[in-house]
Amino acid sequence: MDAFLNGAAEVLSPTTLLMMFFGSFAGIVAAAIPGFTVTMAIVLTLPLTFAMEPLQGISLMLSVYVGGYTGGLISAALLGIPGTPSSVATTFDAFPMARKGEPGRALSLGVWASFFGTIISTIVLIFAAPPLAIFAVKLGPWEYFALIVFALTIVASLVGDSLQRGLIAAMIGLVISTVGTDPMMGRPRFDMGFELLAAGLPFLVVLIGIFAISQLASEVEDVDAVKSGEKLIHGEIEFKTWAVMREVLMRPVNLIRSSLIGVAIGALPGAGGSIANLVAYDQAKRASKTPEAFGTGTPDGVVASEAGNSATAGGGLIPLIALGIPGSAVDAILMASLMVHGISIGPRLIMDNADLVYGMFIAMAVSSLMMLFICIVSMRGFLRVAEVPKWVVVPVVLVCCVVGSFALNNRVTDMYLLGFIGLFGYALKALDYPLAPLVLGVILGPIAETNLRRALMTDSDWTLFFTRPVSLIFLVAAVLSVGWAIRRIIKSRKQMNPTKDAV
Amino acid sequence: MTTGGEAGEVARLISYIALLAVSAGLFLEARTIPTSRFEVLGAGAFPMLVHGVLILLLLSAIAGSIRMLPAEAYGRFIAQIGHWARAKRLVFVVFGCLGVYLFTMPVIGYPIATFAFLLVLQITFAPKTRKAIGIAIALALIFSFGLNWLFAEVFNVFLPRGR
Repeated sequence: MDAFLNGAAEVLSPTTLLMMFFGSFAGIVAAAIPGFTVTMAIVLTLPLTFAMEPLQGISLMLSVYVGGYTGGLISAALLGIPGTPSSVATTFDAFPMARKGEPGRALSLGVWASFFGTIISTIVLIFAAPPLAIFAVKLGPWEYFALIVFALTIVASLVGDSLQRGLIAAMIGLVISTVGTDPMMGRPRFDMGFELLAAGLPFLVVLIGIFAISQLASEVEDVDAVKSGEKLIHGEIEFKTWAVMREVLMRPVNLIRSSLIGVAIGALPGAGGSIANLVAYDQAKRASKTPEAFGTGTPDGVVASEAGNSATAGGGLIPLIALGIPGSAVDAILMASLMVHGISIGPRLIMDNADLVYGMFIAMAVSSLMMLFICIVSMRGFLRVAEVPKWVVVPVVLVCCVVGSFALNNRVTDMYLLGFIGLFGYALKALDYPLAPLVLGVILGPIAETNLRRALMTDSDWTLFFTRPVSLIFLVAAVLSVGWAIRRIIKSRKQMNPTKDAV
Repeated sequence: MTTGGEAGEVARLISYIALLAVSAGLFLEARTIPTSRFEVLGAGAFPMLVHGVLILLLLSAIAGSIRMLPAEAYGRFIAQIGHWARAKRLVFVVFGCLGVYLFTMPVIGYPIATFAFLLVLQITFAPKTRKAIGIAIALALIFSFGLNWLFAEVFNVFLPRGR
């Protein structure tokens, strides 16, 4: 109880609340700008948290996270362009609703569904994370190594179009993590005599380079779109706050089902909001008495998609807090922000830093309240940010990325590294490699190596990985996830080429 | 397979081969890392495991790509890559400017390098109107000299000052 009160006191202090207010605001603004993802917003917030207390820093980042999921709705509903991948399904109904002359209702439905989705996921997080952490403490290095193998295979199989390229990307991430001193004995490896590589590649620089720089470069691929700078929003918006709240609450089954889908998918490493919104939408359509109305501007579609994607925020924190495994790029950045403060993430986090974990739960709930408040008060003003042209966004955010990676260690060489990694990331993106498995490989590599070597130092018998039940379950799950992905690919190929099948 | 898809597959095949060469080289280097007497695995074992799996994946990807591509796809690739590079010229401008910016910053300092970088990039991308150029100049000033001041005075982080 003391830990809960300490956490609450820190989150509810005026300074932290003010920071979170700005964080929510920045998250909504950032995600509303087409091409500016939630991940990028969190990456840019990270350097600002270095000078803060750990809980203050993570509360700020959570507020950007929650705000960002809602901000993606703005461009999805008004422009038909998903501001973030997690709002793809939102465009199916919110955009037609806006085109029919109800843009305010479409936005308001999305905001309320996001709010309830986040609250439901926070409640599940509070109940699910502590028992899972208590179980996780009992796991040995065999189980941890198997868990990481499972996490990487499931990420590789869920993200992107090709399982093979997903696995290659995850392996490239692991390769990057082996550069520099080894995590057990401190022996130098693969530094090629460069001082720059001797300490290893700082994974925050890798993160910024891979996600932000490559994304910004892809934003300028379409020359005409960059040079036109055309305005995309016209007309007046009426928000209808309370009427729409009642409208959302009148759909309790859809709201709860979509939120629980979001939590479950968020808790799986690699899945996240980009999948949750589509699955929640699909389930809502299947369960509906009027499935033909979906896609034409039905409120059920907006509620399902937005509750589903927002609930992944809480779901994603379950493996992070309980097991120390970040399920998505955003969770990886949240993990990094705590590691910068010397806090080790893993099952002991909830035991050693209970106030921090309870503070995170409270920060999630407070963030969703702030997001709601900001949206209700100033939604009309926000709509103007979707007009910011790419010729402003790309150069300015590039400078912010450079400053962020320099401020990390005050090292000029980190900026060079950022440039190289950004170029490499863009090349991989252009070649259709998924980038999330790569970044998770960089983060999970040292943990996997330490646990593998520790397991064999404890007992040199390799078969223990297969004879210890929990370890075996994770390894079987890893094989099943690859098998399931292969089955999915074969099925989609058959659907695309039915004639070949008949031959 | 469309011609655009073909070109992409050839480019991926080249990437698989390049990655394979790097991975094989690092696998051999990992073998030379001495083992410790305190543990079964040495510092080179995990990298060897990772590179081993990566090499197998890349070999299977190479075999898959070669099987998928018709023989004439390689001949068409050079022309298509030229077309692709022209279509994505602004990406090359971004990386070119970023490279010059990063390497000149330690010499001329953060404020001047950033001002020049922002101005050049924004003016290249922006529609050629007075308003756009005015906004570009204002933003370049804010994010170069303004940000430098903010970091130095508020966060006590000193961005590169130049020689």
